Amino acid sequence: MEGTFKSKILDADGIRRAVTRIAHEIVEKNKGTDRLVLVGIRRRGVPLAERIQQYIEEFEGVKVPLGILDITLYRDDLSTIDIHPIVHETDIPVSIEGKTVVLIDDVLYTGRTARAALDATMDLGRPERIQLAVLVDRGHRELPIRADYVGKNLPTSRREIVAVRLQEVDGEEDVLLLQREEDIQTQ
Amino acid sequence: MKWQRKDILAIEDMSVEEIRHILHTAKVMKEILMRPIKKLPTLKGKSVVNLFYEASTRTRTSFEMAGKVLGADTTSIAVAQSSVSKGESLYDTAKTIQAMRADLVIIRHSSSGSAKFLADILDAGVINAGDGQHAHPTQALLDIFTMEEQLGEMDGKKVVIVGDVLHSRVARSNAWCLQKLGVDVTLVGPPTLVPVEMAGLGVKLTHDLDGALPGADVVMALRLQLERQQSGLFPSLREYSHLYGLTTERLKKTGKQSIVLHPGPMNRNVEISDDVADSVEALIERQVTNGVAIRMALIYLLIGGSGNVVA
Amino acid sequence: MWWLKEVWVIDPSQSLSAPRDVLVKGGQVLEMASSMTEEEVLTIAQGEPVETINAKGKFVFPGLIDVHTHLREPGQEEKEDILSGSRAAVRGGFTTILAMANTKPVIDNRALVEFVLLQGVRAGYAHVLPIGTVTKGMQGSELVEMVDMKEGGAAAFSDDGKNIQNAEMMRLALEYAKLTGLPIISHCEDKDLAGDGLMRRGVTSARMGLKGIPASAESVIVARDLLLAEETGGKLHLAHISTTESVNLIREAKARGVNVTAEVNPHHLIFCDEDITLTDTALKVNPPLGSRGDRESLIEGLRDGTLDMIATDHAPHTQSEKTRPFAEAPFGIASLETALSAVWQYLVLPGQLSLDRVIEAWSYSPAQRFGLSGGTLKPGSSADMVLFDPDFSEVIDSATLVSKARNTPFLGKSLQGFPIMVWVEGQLVQRNRTVI
Repeated sequence: MEGTFKSKILDADGIRRAVTRIAHEIVEKNKGTDRLVLVGIRRRGVPLAERIQQYIEEFEGVKVPLGILDITLYRDDLSTIDIHPIVHETDIPVSIEGKTVVLIDDVLYTGRTARAALDATMDLGRPERIQLAVLVDRGHRELPIRADYVGKNLPTSRREIVAVRLQEVDGEEDVLLLQREEDIQTQ
Repeated sequence: MKWQRKDILAIEDMSVEEIRHILHTAKVMKEILMRPIKKLPTLKGKSVVNLFYEASTRTRTSFEMAGKVLGADTTSIAVAQSSVSKGESLYDTAKTIQAMRADLVIIRHSSSGSAKFLADILDAGVINAGDGQHAHPTQALLDIFTMEEQLGEMDGKKVVIVGDVLHSRVARSNAWCLQKLGVDVTLVGPPTLVPVEMAGLGVKLTHDLDGALPGADVVMALRLQLERQQSGLFPSLREYSHLYGLTTERLKKTGKQSIVLHPGPMNRNVEISDDVADSVEALIERQVTNGVAIRMALIYLLIGGSGNVVA
Repeated sequence: MWWLKEVWVIDPSQSLSAPRDVLVKGGQVLEMASSMTEEEVLTIAQGEPVETINAKGKFVFPGLIDVHTHLREPGQEEKEDILSGSRAAVRGGFTTILAMANTKPVIDNRALVEFVLLQGVRAGYAHVLPIGTVTKGMQGSELVEMVDMKEGGAAAFSDDGKNIQNAEMMRLALEYAKLTGLPIISHCEDKDLAGDGLMRRGVTSARMGLKGIPASAESVIVARDLLLAEETGGKLHLAHISTTESVNLIREAKARGVNVTAEVNPHHLIFCDEDITLTDTALKVNPPLGSRGDRESLIEGLRDGTLDMIATDHAPHTQSEKTRPFAEAPFGIASLETALSAVWQYLVLPGQLSLDRVIEAWSYSPAQRFGLSGGTLKPGSSADMVLFDPDFSEVIDSATLVSKARNTPFLGKSLQGFPIMVWVEGQLVQRNRTVI
């Protein structure tokens, strides 16, 4: 991790409760699962989307279609970042034409990833509406974007890092607040 | 991996890791290419110049499409190369392109080494779209991509390349690429077109196509330049086609469900019969599609990140 | 007067390779002795001022004679001219150079022969001797006025790169040239076999996709010309031999008594086809660099006398001509200023060739074959002479080369062993690497 530990925001149970609630809210807000498509944004949006799909199936008995979105090619910082981002496949098995697409990601911060995901989604077709679900909203938006479903609202400083760790990706299950290394060094 | 390359000039000096990275990226690009809306904002504001000294509509169009899908501005300069002594030298053209601050130049030229020559002068990236008889790396990459798409990992499989190997940059680049990926490669053609020194590529050589076919997973026919007959390299199209033309009958000798590739444009019923060209085994149109995906991947890798951008 | 003290003299004409004191006076080598006292020298000087060079550890030898240079004048003075070429010659240790006939126009009549000769005299550095063409306009169909051209000063006849493709024409040339006593120089290249090849055909050419020139492109003409010389009794000189097969053919022909001599270029003794890269046009040369095996055969051939002489084939080209893709750049290496050092560093120092043999092959043998003055330091002979410092090293730099051309594979590299003083007819024309 690139920072030092400050506090644990959510443990495994906390994540489970938050994601379950989001799954309920999605069904409630859309009055069911009809015409719903879940789309996880790589990387940690993908296991979150899978879990939401599973929860919805548990209490609605319906398997909502699930897709994966890679936004690398839509990033607005491609020409300024140093390390060449590796592109991965976008895989959305159903047409999104006229559907309600729920984009799912781990953290909402500046809004730039969400903006890229919106563009990437709309290049795949014309959904009726697009919604956004995030596990953590840490504030500091740079674009007029807000989430429809939020697991945890977390006021942070820009010097802090929100680290979401999921079993499928990281082998751990929690959300941590970290202090940036370079800030510690300069203190 | 961290992509370090400014240019794509030849497969010969590429690592397996780099080739794999390109193929991985091309897979993503192909998915984008299959979408109804084929347009990305990725390379907005980047300029790609196609500098073609040899007429080649298909390769040039493929690069143009690749650049456009990624959102780059592409410009094509078709230079008639009637005589090397007339007109502006490649050195001066390179200086002009440099001054125009292009981000990437795609070059096709009849002289072996011309792509490297250009790359040595330019700060911009260079992709070799075919230089003389030397190399055609994007063709080799799209070929391996097509093979693996159909057959899975090619390690340990067998590929037979038949035709005018001596004059073929496609054969050279494929020989390098396939060998690196552990493929068993055999080059086939008459002794005048597959001379012994081609063994320097490290592959098997034979003049007997029927003997080479058993066990082949892929059979690739090369385009025969018809003017080679006038140079005395083979006696007639009839005899050439009799010995080296791909026919349905002959293809059965592989003893398996082999696929057929051809870099195009085809001389039908010379190096490949109509029925083979139009068969399900022939993935010739797929090669064209995959060509765009491979070129998208390369363009993205060369100018998609800041590490490769001209300062 | 010059007094070179304790210098190592190499003079194959006297079978001499030993330390000596050498006196040069009035344009001639005056005397050589194991050692001299100042009194003895002053007595000989008879009041003339004496410049004493303490030359221990250095070599003195007859000025090199290069039988194969391209000076490009008239017609292509942007590449080189007789003045710049002859300055480059003396900087590199050459006191006599033969200028190849493939200028624009080609040297195919006496007036042009005399023009080249006169330009050489006007330049006033190395002796410049013209080679005339064999056929008018190098067209390969009608002989030139060989006798008239010899009277005008031609030293040999050659259609150079055009090579006489018609065997009957070559036979007639060998016959007719007997009237002059001058050799016919064959370029040894079958045009059909060479085609539009760019480098020696082999594994390296196949790898790079550069069109190959088979070794036979040279050897078949060598075989043909040897047979024609044998049949006619004509005087044949074979230029820039580069293949094992050619060396073997020449060795056999000499054993049969054929009147033939042959030259080899330094670059063929130093480099081989594996050294060529796709964008390095400095090594694009004709005949092309051969295989490693060829290089070994050439060194062996030079050692055993099958190859009689070394010649540079100095082929100057402009930067813009060489700054092109490999296929489009012209053939040739400009080598007058680097050839001797390169041979010293790459062949003499590692023990592949003796310096004595190098001097014999680059001075005495050419003088003998072409009937030239020079090539000797016998007392009384004209003082065409080189003082060579085996320890002097220099980076080959664009700014210091005096040739107009920069197409040398040594550009930017360091070489060791250079001529530091050069005299032509007793006149000092180069000192400490600077042409005077």
